[in-house]
Amino acid sequence: MCSRLSVVVCLLVASLAVSASAQTGAAAGLAIPTTTSAINSATPLSQRVVAYDMDAKYNAKAHSLDATETLTYHNLTGQPLDTFPFHLYLNAFEPTATWVREGKREATRGQDFEKWDPKNYGSEEIKSFEVVGQGDFTNQLQFIHPDDENKDDRTVVQVHLPKPIPRDGYVQFKIKFHDQFPETLERTGWNRDFVLGGQWFPKVGVWWHGAWNCHQFHAYTEFFADFGVYDVKLTVPQYEVVGASGIEVSSVDNPDGTKTVAYHGDDIHDFAWTASPHYLIYNDTFQSSMGPVKLRIMMQPAHWGQAERHALIAKQTMERFDRWYGPYPYKTLTIVDPDPGSQAFGMEYPTFITAGTNWFMPKGALLPEQVVEHEFGHQYWYGMVATNEFEDAWMDEGINQYTEAKVMDSIFGPSTSTINLWGITAGEENEDRLFYERVAALDPLAKNGWQYADNNSYGGITYGKTALILLTLESVIGEDTMRQAMHTYFLRYRFASPTKEDFLKTIEEVSGKDLRWYFNQAVYGTQVLDFEVLKISSVPVEWYKDDLQEKKGVTEYVNNVWIHRKEDFVMPVDIEIKFDNGDKVREHWDGQDRWVRYAYQKKAKIESVEVDPDHKIYFDRNNFNNSRTEEPNGAPARKLANYWTCIGQFFAQMLAWWLV
Amino acid sequence: MKENMNLVSAGAAVVRRNKRYIVWFYLLNLAFAHFGASAFSDAAHSILDNSLYADKLLHGFNLGVFMEMLMRPEFGALPSATHPAMMFAVVFFLTSLVFMPGVLLGYASDHRLPRDEFFRACGRNVWRFARLFVFFAIIAGVVGGILFGALNALVMMADKTSNERLPFFTQLAGTLIILLILTVVRIWFDLAQTEVVLRDQPAVRKAVTAGFRKTWRNLGRLLGSYVAIASVALLVLVVGIWLWHAIVPPSSVLGAFIIGQVMMLLLLAMRFWQRATAVAFYVKEMIEPVVEERVVAAFIAPVVS
Repeated sequence: MCSRLSVVVCLLVASLAVSASAQTGAAAGLAIPTTTSAINSATPLSQRVVAYDMDAKYNAKAHSLDATETLTYHNLTGQPLDTFPFHLYLNAFEPTATWVREGKREATRGQDFEKWDPKNYGSEEIKSFEVVGQGDFTNQLQFIHPDDENKDDRTVVQVHLPKPIPRDGYVQFKIKFHDQFPETLERTGWNRDFVLGGQWFPKVGVWWHGAWNCHQFHAYTEFFADFGVYDVKLTVPQYEVVGASGIEVSSVDNPDGTKTVAYHGDDIHDFAWTASPHYLIYNDTFQSSMGPVKLRIMMQPAHWGQAERHALIAKQTMERFDRWYGPYPYKTLTIVDPDPGSQAFGMEYPTFITAGTNWFMPKGALLPEQVVEHEFGHQYWYGMVATNEFEDAWMDEGINQYTEAKVMDSIFGPSTSTINLWGITAGEENEDRLFYERVAALDPLAKNGWQYADNNSYGGITYGKTALILLTLESVIGEDTMRQAMHTYFLRYRFASPTKEDFLKTIEEVSGKDLRWYFNQAVYGTQVLDFEVLKISSVPVEWYKDDLQEKKGVTEYVNNVWIHRKEDFVMPVDIEIKFDNGDKVREHWDGQDRWVRYAYQKKAKIESVEVDPDHKIYFDRNNFNNSRTEEPNGAPARKLANYWTCIGQFFAQMLAWWLV
Repeated sequence: MKENMNLVSAGAAVVRRNKRYIVWFYLLNLAFAHFGASAFSDAAHSILDNSLYADKLLHGFNLGVFMEMLMRPEFGALPSATHPAMMFAVVFFLTSLVFMPGVLLGYASDHRLPRDEFFRACGRNVWRFARLFVFFAIIAGVVGGILFGALNALVMMADKTSNERLPFFTQLAGTLIILLILTVVRIWFDLAQTEVVLRDQPAVRKAVTAGFRKTWRNLGRLLGSYVAIASVALLVLVVGIWLWHAIVPPSSVLGAFIIGQVMMLLLLAMRFWQRATAVAFYVKEMIEPVVEERVVAAFIAPVVS
């Protein structure tokens, strides 16, 4: 249909449009900076859509903040825009907000809102809203509710411009706003004299697939934003130790007892900061393949002894990510050990993560390592591969959980990568299985984050199931191929916002396999996998003889094994049958039917049968029925019963000790 | 200090002379706990016995696999495993309550107490001990309630400071102090129980008053003795757990059973040691100020009649 003439006309129109829009931007003198001072690259790494220039003054006593924001937006949508939605995330912490209503419906992140405490209040008030060249729109802002009918939710505000912004044109917003931080909720806010400023400024939505994508703040969901440049000045009391996304540009003491610390970030899509008088700073450096990365670890005094643990795991993780998936291009990574008791632990922001530990943390309790690893992983799966966390939570949390398992297992061993303490062990796989098993059939991965059945399902499916199905995928395409696929996916989609199909197609492309049979069940479906060894039998061939004397190695048996696929996930599997003369037989079953029977005539009886003997399937809902031994072994149960008896004895003795 | 040691030694000598009580109570404790664990044991056997996956629990202790076992529908609801254990703990407590008078009489006696005397003492004092328990529960409940309430308030205040260790150490120190105070209450009622048995005192309130008076007058000695013995109990627990971890291979069910049971036996012996110390103290107190025949008449005559 596209003739040569139409191509010429198209090119002409396009060049005119580009020229006009360039004039639009140039006329106003607007542009997105092409700075690279915060990255180890001579050129920008992302398609920069936004430039935020903010000047914020924090009131440590009132836990509030007054700021001015100048947002320059580059219209790369390919069409004129006359409507702009903005997130006002802090308004989620009002009792009638959707976030709180969903939190009230069921506890979320430890907050069940039995009663509303005034300290929980958070708000983000726009004091003035000016569109440069078009006037003041403060009174024309409208709250919208794209996800539900909650008219009291004020987490998304929209402005309609009389003069549309042409494609490739620029628009600049000048916003004055006032924040009231809550006592830490959803990893933002204050606790005693600590503050973590996350999701604290009016943030424009993302034009994605031909429409604005600007969801309300929900109890389970996270965030989504365009890449750009951030220049932020924070004015805080001089006694505060400050950390933030990006690089520190300057720090100036003011006569009024405050100081202004300036930060700059390139190719990032969010900006967070923290301040507390108590932080102790531990500096280190990691040599990435793109250049040195300064590690700034902000520790609580009581955790100072764990600073090296934090630095070590950060460097071990960065080394593996660099080698396996691709380089970390930023010049800094700030690791914040938040105030104990605050709900600010375990959160990711670009070049800035919060860890989580306690003053008593034996080396075999790997919580600090796990949290630092996990949050650093988000620098890749969220920070650079900036998926839509509202709609595809599994693509950041789940893929990150998978790479967490790979990294932690490689450092600490598969069975001991979360706990290895006083003889008690557990690995990443165990943790993911526990997450997943409770909610296995409730929701698919491919679902909007706020539409999961509940908090457990959101966690179990997006984190646990994703990790388990990706670990299992390694058995289908091979571990090396999977790593290559992840590497390709990262390099192809860093500084972009891929969809779920982008990810799945990359794996298919790299592996050269059609994996739809797997993805349709594991990603788009709620099918559950559960193989079981239904039964085994060994009957002497000459069973009918009255004088039959069974003798090991002499008597011939007809051996039968029944394998049952109990649930609806169809997947091929290996089966290993062991005989009492030491023989082993391996079978491969395509798993299509509900059950399969294997028969063997041998001078040996079946000793044991095991489905998936190499333990490559991680999401089988019940691993206990994956094997069956002919002779029962009561030792494991006796051992546990022993423990239970001892606990019972101790409890009874203590009761009698105190009461008689 | 020396007095304390004498009291503790005297208690130890009494326990040594009457080891059979500890053995019987230990066997009861083990039997009840065994019954209490039977539901757990049956459920675990049904899941683990024919599964190779159970190796992760035998050759080590994989917490994740253990949790998976608990989450299996065939295991049943967790209370079905915990409730029997709690119920049999209560049964052990009631058994202790019933048979403790016989033990106390045995401890006060310089000869091996005949079985009929033991059970007669138990029968004669069962209702008195029940009333003493009610008194104890009220007093300890009120004291404990007030103290733990105050401690909670203190911990909450400590929690508001930026010193992260403060709430923990406040909780620890506060709990230790409360346990010390409750130990005083325990000593008081241990002496009241001794008074009831050895004097054949039917008026429980009088016994409570006498117990209080004796405790108050000899608080340092008695508390020192009890705390010394409790410290040995703590040491037994810590060393036992360490040995369990250090020398018993994870797959040795028998080894774990033996070391666990030795620990439980010794732990039980510690409480009997405290009781024996209280009896030794009581007998000594009775003998010292009073004419010998009166004392003998007072605490032996009613029992053997």
